[in-house]
Amino acid sequence: MQASLLGYYSHLALRSFRRNPGLTALMVLAIAFGVAVCIMTLTVYHAMSGNPIWWKNDRLYTVTMDSWDPNSGFTRGNAETHLPPPLMTYRDATTVLHAGLAERTVVMFESSGVISGTGGPPLRTDTRFTTGDFFPMFDVPFLYGSGWSRSADDPPQPVVVLSRSMNERLFAGANSVGRTLRWNDHEFRVVGVLDYWFPRPLFYDVTEGSFAPPEDLFIPFAWGRALDLRSAGNVDCWKAEPLDTSEQFFNSECVWLQTWVELPDRASRERMQAFLDNYWAEQRRGGRFGRPRDNRLTNVGQWLRDQQVVDNDNRVLVGLAFAFLLVCLINTVGLLLAKFLSAAAITGVRRALGASRRQVFMQHLTEVALIAGTGSALGLGLGALGLAAVHHMYAAAHLGRPGGYQELMHFDRTGVLWAIALAILATLAAGLYPAWRVGRLPPAVYLKSQ
Amino acid sequence: MSLSVRPILSALMRNRTGAVLVAMQVAIALAVLVNALYIVVQRIEKMQRPLGIDVDNIFVVQASGFTDRYDQTSSMREDIDYLRSLPGVVAASPSNGIPLSGSGSATTLTAHPGVHSTDGFNYYEVDEQGLDALGVRLVAGRNFRHGDIEPSRAKNDASSFVSNVILSRATALRLFGQDDPLGKAVYDDLGQSATVVGIVDPVIGAWVGDRHPDWVMFMSRLPSGRYGAVRYLVRTRPGARDAAMQQAESHLSRSNPDRVITFVRTLNYFRDLSYLGDRSMGIYLLTVTLLMVAVTCLGIFALATFNVTTRTRQIGTRRAVGARRADIVQYFLVENGLITTAGVVGGCALALATGYWLSIQYELPRLNLYFLVGGVLLLWGIGQLAALQPARRAATVPPSVATRNV
Repeated sequence: MQASLLGYYSHLALRSFRRNPGLTALMVLAIAFGVAVCIMTLTVYHAMSGNPIWWKNDRLYTVTMDSWDPNSGFTRGNAETHLPPPLMTYRDATTVLHAGLAERTVVMFESSGVISGTGGPPLRTDTRFTTGDFFPMFDVPFLYGSGWSRSADDPPQPVVVLSRSMNERLFAGANSVGRTLRWNDHEFRVVGVLDYWFPRPLFYDVTEGSFAPPEDLFIPFAWGRALDLRSAGNVDCWKAEPLDTSEQFFNSECVWLQTWVELPDRASRERMQAFLDNYWAEQRRGGRFGRPRDNRLTNVGQWLRDQQVVDNDNRVLVGLAFAFLLVCLINTVGLLLAKFLSAAAITGVRRALGASRRQVFMQHLTEVALIAGTGSALGLGLGALGLAAVHHMYAAAHLGRPGGYQELMHFDRTGVLWAIALAILATLAAGLYPAWRVGRLPPAVYLKSQ
Repeated sequence: MSLSVRPILSALMRNRTGAVLVAMQVAIALAVLVNALYIVVQRIEKMQRPLGIDVDNIFVVQASGFTDRYDQTSSMREDIDYLRSLPGVVAASPSNGIPLSGSGSATTLTAHPGVHSTDGFNYYEVDEQGLDALGVRLVAGRNFRHGDIEPSRAKNDASSFVSNVILSRATALRLFGQDDPLGKAVYDDLGQSATVVGIVDPVIGAWVGDRHPDWVMFMSRLPSGRYGAVRYLVRTRPGARDAAMQQAESHLSRSNPDRVITFVRTLNYFRDLSYLGDRSMGIYLLTVTLLMVAVTCLGIFALATFNVTTRTRQIGTRRAVGARRADIVQYFLVENGLITTAGVVGGCALALATGYWLSIQYELPRLNLYFLVGGVLLLWGIGQLAALQPARRAATVPPSVATRNV
């Protein structure tokens, strides 16, 4: 189609809009609402269902082994999950760690402690106890310094890595590498400060809210045992066994540790799987692992699906949004058809004067595209407003807990892309049939009635 | 007047695209309306379940000791004594968990030693004011007495049980069925026993999303503060909560340099947070469903208007040959009724299919048929209302139109 024709068609469309301003406004609004609702749900869905470390999806695996009760599978909220427990026992996790088969191995848990000794008031904060491979394995960005080396893991050195926001809070954002702080009254030396890092979902530990921000403090894993700490996250136990002493707890069947390995290729993956299976068989002979063999290496994408990080509500809402858009589009088809047919006499004159079917079709499609484009642009605005409103609702409810679910309500590039895609979809879905239909009208019929 | 559907139907069939489109809208709108309302009603039921807890008048304090000098037992004693002395405070108790917050502990529990069970019961470790601090109602037996309260579990006795427990009625039903639970023994997984001294009802635990949020047990023991924090539940007289909170926060945060007050929050805060997802889901579903019904009504209205406009001459002709205004109105309403009925019939099938799919996919309960009936009546009714104005306008077409323009 020539540019001049396009201009002419747009001109015709505008004249047509002026003929029925109410009807036109109705169509634009219907598309706008449909697009707005879709953008809102899709933005949240996109943020929820994303894989925040997709570039390592063929290298990063979480290790799980079904060490649960021989009589019944792992449950959550009194409902069976049909999966191995998402966490590992101390015994099993440290076996994987000490085997050293993977390029990198992370064993970790979350705890809470009070920071003091930096001048400000004491501050209780979530702290991750992890092996030092955490930082290179998850591609964590650093603002100052770095993580700690493996030699600092065991025996554990008194080193700590801070999040950027914690560094701002404790040290006013200065390069704090080399300075010290007290964690539950034990002295630790800062070796690194993270840059802004907020993987969503929080794939490496989905047990405590998948959209929470990462912890503000990172300390070598072995301090957990040295200080006899317990996880502040989930600790799930099934076996009737005394857990009185620390020794009993660390040797128990309680699961509480996240375990991640980096395996760069198929061979290393198979080696790790074989190792797990051998270890499982050996332990089984010793009386453990009463359930069928289920030792898994799960990549991040599958892990997020298994752990149902995208909740069902969200899927229902995406379905609802598309049903709504469908109704809006059907509505628009009906209105357009009515509009085009009621103006058929004019079209008949154009046809009689020599406009081809194709040209009539393109002319009407241009009109639809203008309506859909305007509607989608308006929908984009409405969607952004809606997201801001929901964001506010969540932010108000989370009072003083930054991050979390409300952060998903951010309008971003994805929303714009969706709006453009939906505008094209709307034009084609709503416009093709009416434009085709009106192009096929025999001109004579309409000229006759004049 | 002659109500004959056949000519209306045949007129419809000759120009059916618009009618089919409207019927499709009605069908989808019905399917969505019915299922969305059903989900919303379930959420409202979940949010309105009796909690048995005086949520509006309770606040929660969390304290974390962090130095070697910190002595939890004496610190807890002092803090609780202080909280109880505050004006307007009805009761205060230490607790390991916070109701409705998602933070708590659970244990397995059986009515016979050595029986295997995977049932998880949410437990509160509280002192003799624990029940009062929550405002839960004792329906049988007795409350804990001061002498019942056992000291916190030490670090090297993490798995001991207590002597006395109070159960929720739901827990008692699960363990003992219809038998009287008072005086009976309950067993933990190590076979250690405790005696049931009281029953409360209703009550809710920490996890509102649990399949059985009311499987709750109270243990007569001070919490261990194992994760470095102890919580205090404080209940006040109506209206006294906020002042007591402020006083508590300013005093406790200075009274002991070996611990910090992590937060002082209302219980409402935790409840709202726990139900936030359900609430926003409900609001969202309702908004979108309403919009969808509105759009569908506009579609019906627009089709009827279009039909009236394009048939002005036919209407005039009918009027000229003797049709009354009421006949014209009736004609358009019957026509619209036919379209809506077709849509509603298709919508029923779609609604049932959607409901079935949701119940399979997301483990939602199956669609209640009353909702379907209600949805059908509602959509049919407002469908007719939407067509009423165009139909009335059609009736104003004068018979003389038939003779013009020929």
